[in-house]
Amino acid sequence: MGLKRDVSLSAGLRYRGPAAYLTYILHRIGGLGMGIFIAVHILASFVGGRFGGILNGIYENWAFQIFIFFCALFHAINGLRITILDLFPKLLDYHVEAIWIEWAVFIPLFGVSVFVIVSTALGG
Amino acid sequence: MEVTIKIFRYNPEKDQRGNYVTYKVEAHENDRVLDVLEYIKGKIDGALSFRRSCAHGVCGSDAMRINGRNMLACKVLIRDVGANITVEPILGLPIKKDLIVDMEPFFDNYKKVLPYFINDSPLPADGRERLQSPEERARFDETTKCILCAACTTSCPSYWANGEYYGPAAIVNAHRFIFDSRDEAADQRLQILAETDGIARCHTAYNCTEACPREIKVTKAIGEVKMAIMTGKLD
Repeated sequence: MGLKRDVSLSAGLRYRGPAAYLTYILHRIGGLGMGIFIAVHILASFVGGRFGGILNGIYENWAFQIFIFFCALFHAINGLRITILDLFPKLLDYHVEAIWIEWAVFIPLFGVSVFVIVSTALGG
Repeated sequence: MEVTIKIFRYNPEKDQRGNYVTYKVEAHENDRVLDVLEYIKGKIDGALSFRRSCAHGVCGSDAMRINGRNMLACKVLIRDVGANITVEPILGLPIKKDLIVDMEPFFDNYKKVLPYFINDSPLPADGRERLQSPEERARFDETTKCILCAACTTSCPSYWANGEYYGPAAIVNAHRFIFDSRDEAADQRLQILAETDGIARCHTAYNCTEACPREIKVTKAIGEVKMAIMTGKLD
């Protein structure tokens, strides 16, 4: 007798891991977000008509675009960090610094992009 | 100082699911979490169950989640975790009672990577020992430190999702023999680790490195094994 090994999503998310664990979680959210975007995009083209128009409205919405851009950019930069560390295991000694560099690259790029998206959306 | 400690409790004979019980106890800031657990078991609730043996960070019996992170209760001081403490069993292994988990699945995975010295060649001419240079020994020094406490494996999200994944501890112990110049089964171990439930399931969350009470660079060891699988070289 005993409790099963099941680890719920909330138990996993409540684990207090290091900074890399946050990037691990955001990487998955990024992948999922891009999957949703592609699904909505394909569905909108496939279905067409009024429902297709509603779907087009979702992914053309500027808030959704900011979310998708976050997903794509973070997924790409984080993936690059992981690939570099995978190919050069000696650099794994500097994995904490690698995450700082990742944020230092991501934040300005994302910030500028959000500014452009928002100013375009609100400026007409 | 007064410490408020919330402990996960589960009695398989009575409970369908676990619950938390809160205790308030007096403790010194230099006491360890294990000391507080011992006090509760000795003076307040003798039914509280947890593993402990050496109580000095060597045997690895008392790995548990303390304030949401895997640690050895015997190595954590109250002053490092504060006066409000939550203690839970490590994740990903079946819970037998309170803080005690079933370690069998962990050791089953460990055994899969052949964690022992393999060399069927005849002994050197003098019939004594197989020599190794200090540099060759240093190559795997880090991974000899593992005490099999399971703190790394049970902090790994890939292991939470799939218990068939060998897990960081098994890979660390494979690393210890793969990079041992005297061992002759590196290819065999690399083949095992190249399987679906092997190295490919590591997604570099680094929880394992953070959780290791022996400060083994677990993710780096896994990275070196990954590279050895990719290149087929051990240098």
